[in-house]
Amino acid sequence: MVQASDYNNDFENKWCPGCGNFPILAAMKEAFAAQNIPPEKMMFISGIGQAGKTPHFIQGNIFHTLHGRALPVATGAKTANHDLNVVVNSGDGDCYGEGGNHFLAAIRRNVDIALLVHNNQVYGLTKGQASPTTALGTVTRLQKQGTVSQPFNPLAVALAAGAGFVARGFSGKPEQLTALIQRAMQYRGFALIDILQPCVSFNKINTQKWYMDRVYDIDVSHDPGDFAKAMGLAMEWGDKIPTGILYEKEGVPFHQRIKELSEKPLIDHVFDPEKVAAAFS
Amino acid sequence: MTTDITVKIGGAAGQGIQTIGTLLSQVCHTAGLFIFSVDDFESRIRGGHSFNLLRISDEPVKGPGSSVDILVALDQQTLSLNRGNLEKDAMIILNSDTETGFKDNTLAIPLKGLAREAGGAITANTVAAGAILSILGAPFDALETLLTRRFTAKGEKIVSLNIAAAGKGYDAAGDLRFLRQFSWTPKQTNTVIINGVKAAAMGALASDCRFFSFYPMSPATGVMTSVVPFMDKLPIVMEQAEDEIAAVNMAVGASFAGVRSLTATSGGGFCLMTEGLGLAAISETPLVIIDAQRPGPATGLPTRTGQADLLFALNASQDAFPRFVFAPGNPMETYELTKKAFTLSEKYQVPAIILLDQFLNTSQVTQENCFTVEKDLSRFICHDMDMEEPEKYLRYRFTNDGISPRAVPGRGKALVRATGNEHNEAGQISEDAENKKAMNAKRNGKHAAMLAEMTAPQVFHGDSATLLVGWGSSREIILEACRIMRQQGRDMGAVIIKDIWPLDRQQWTEILENKTLIMVEQNSNCQMGMLISQETGIFYDAAILKDDGRPLYPEYIIKKTQDIME
Repeated sequence: MVQASDYNNDFENKWCPGCGNFPILAAMKEAFAAQNIPPEKMMFISGIGQAGKTPHFIQGNIFHTLHGRALPVATGAKTANHDLNVVVNSGDGDCYGEGGNHFLAAIRRNVDIALLVHNNQVYGLTKGQASPTTALGTVTRLQKQGTVSQPFNPLAVALAAGAGFVARGFSGKPEQLTALIQRAMQYRGFALIDILQPCVSFNKINTQKWYMDRVYDIDVSHDPGDFAKAMGLAMEWGDKIPTGILYEKEGVPFHQRIKELSEKPLIDHVFDPEKVAAAFS
Repeated sequence: MTTDITVKIGGAAGQGIQTIGTLLSQVCHTAGLFIFSVDDFESRIRGGHSFNLLRISDEPVKGPGSSVDILVALDQQTLSLNRGNLEKDAMIILNSDTETGFKDNTLAIPLKGLAREAGGAITANTVAAGAILSILGAPFDALETLLTRRFTAKGEKIVSLNIAAAGKGYDAAGDLRFLRQFSWTPKQTNTVIINGVKAAAMGALASDCRFFSFYPMSPATGVMTSVVPFMDKLPIVMEQAEDEIAAVNMAVGASFAGVRSLTATSGGGFCLMTEGLGLAAISETPLVIIDAQRPGPATGLPTRTGQADLLFALNASQDAFPRFVFAPGNPMETYELTKKAFTLSEKYQVPAIILLDQFLNTSQVTQENCFTVEKDLSRFICHDMDMEEPEKYLRYRFTNDGISPRAVPGRGKALVRATGNEHNEAGQISEDAENKKAMNAKRNGKHAAMLAEMTAPQVFHGDSATLLVGWGSSREIILEACRIMRQQGRDMGAVIIKDIWPLDRQQWTEILENKTLIMVEQNSNCQMGMLISQETGIFYDAAILKDDGRPLYPEYIIKKTQDIME
């Protein structure tokens, strides 16, 4: 049996003590072990930001790419070899800002990957500027008058774009988060988990306590196939913030929509020069 | 005696100029004749002035004809624009509803009217093709056979409609024949009609490229369109990305996972791809990018041709890393260099950029059918069984030649770690000063071996005191100009460059030193001239620059050379 500790590596962790990324990392390891997937079968792809560093701190195949570009790289890798278990670690700036167009396109493609967006409502790596999810009017070091753009609602946008698996987690609820990551990986298609997390260094508003006072588990009676209810939950923000699976509906993932990939992964085809020459003539 | 005739078919966009050109080309092909066909189109779907310039010869031709023997004016504008450029004995076919008949070397026929008589105004292009082929002396059954083949899939009604239309045009020309005539006896030849985009697509497929990602952009889209007919025969996945940034990063992702990948774009899209180019470079992921050039900057001239991306391709992305840059001179070179780009990109784990352009991409040429597919494709990927301890695999292990054995993820015990950050041998982020120097040295250290893979600039009549120096798609036009000038008694040679980067300074210096160098380039700032100066210290003496977005013609080079030499 694969243990969570099999995912430990000895690379020095560079996050701030108390960072919400630590429990996310721990939940990932638990989730992969629980599914008995060994590290060599995992492909971690990330963009830029503190979340983008996640793959370095876990055992597995990794590609830490460019700011905002994790999803296209993941799409290419998954298309080349759909046997890879692809998990993407991104952040609110990386995924919803720099990579916004790729976020929409990846949802439309329904690429079979699990996207974990570490959402701390602030830019951590660049030291405290507003992110796409920062509340309107928030004063930062750069936005002295307060931010002037309204925040991006990733869950509502994902739902509207047709995502088949939309969930919200919180780094302060590691057991729920572990379960969500497992469900996201089991889901055949594009699975988004927006994970709320505190930034202990640069976000003095949305602290651990701020979240603890607001988050609540989505009731077990919620039907995840109910789009309208899911949209209702996605719009809920403020005094009460729901966590759990908002929406889940079966769909056909990208690689199953492509005839050439139905038989086996693209990488497993054998080059046949005679077939190529015949195609030329 | 060679018969060499150029037909110019001009009209508004949407009048089916390309269709007429294609029909003529194919009839010529069945008679064993050689063609070179250039399209000149505006960036619009309807209206304006566009033309196809079709050169037909009974000897191989590699460049466009520039004097017009037969003008086919689908509208009055074409007639007035071109009247001045016709050969003495030229004939004109004019689309006219009012003044029909033959007068002053002009055959006026109502194309639409005749098409309607045949049964459908839509066949006006077929009427035109019939009239042109009649004047050229081609037997009607050659066209009939072709039309049958071309339209069979659309049903017998469409076939007979087109044959009727062709007949109307053919008969309208009556006994009129152009002065010079070809032999139209059907001839089996081992030739194909091909253009740059098809050659590039075939080069990729012969290299086992299986993943194609792109965002549509003229004149690169044709590369992807040319892959489509092969998609039901070979294992290929093509994805239209949301933008060029995604296109290049998908190609990087697929390549990282072990599948050879291609993305193609034009200059503006390549601007967006430069970040991904850098990612491929630092992560040492093989990547082949086609940049089909058009004049810029920004949107520039979308449907026109140019050679103005050379310095950009050489320098794209921040900081330094090794790369290959190729610029083929014709479809056959495009095929060969695309194969070379795939092999070398994977062998050295560096990006390879292929510079094509609108002229090369869309010009059709009759070419010997010698597109060989290598039986044993070299792959440069290592597996667990190649390693003593796969668990200790280091993706960026320091080696003597800078090339670290490359494994792909998920294929064994070896874990593959890659990153766009500077990294250590294990692929983990490293800010260590010594490591940074060592990694730069490792990557840049590939340069010497890469250099040995490059072929030298090709020299023609190297004993001449004066050399025309060019690169890429202007190859055949420069060579033709050189040949004509030599016939005229001028001491003239040429240097044509297709393997551009990395370049061997010593080798280039030996070729270019102590000569009068006339650069011939389709840009405004003489980019190859700048590169030569930068790398060899040799300054060119003069430059023939054509930066109007239109194709280069031998006559232009000859005229400008005369101006320079006097």
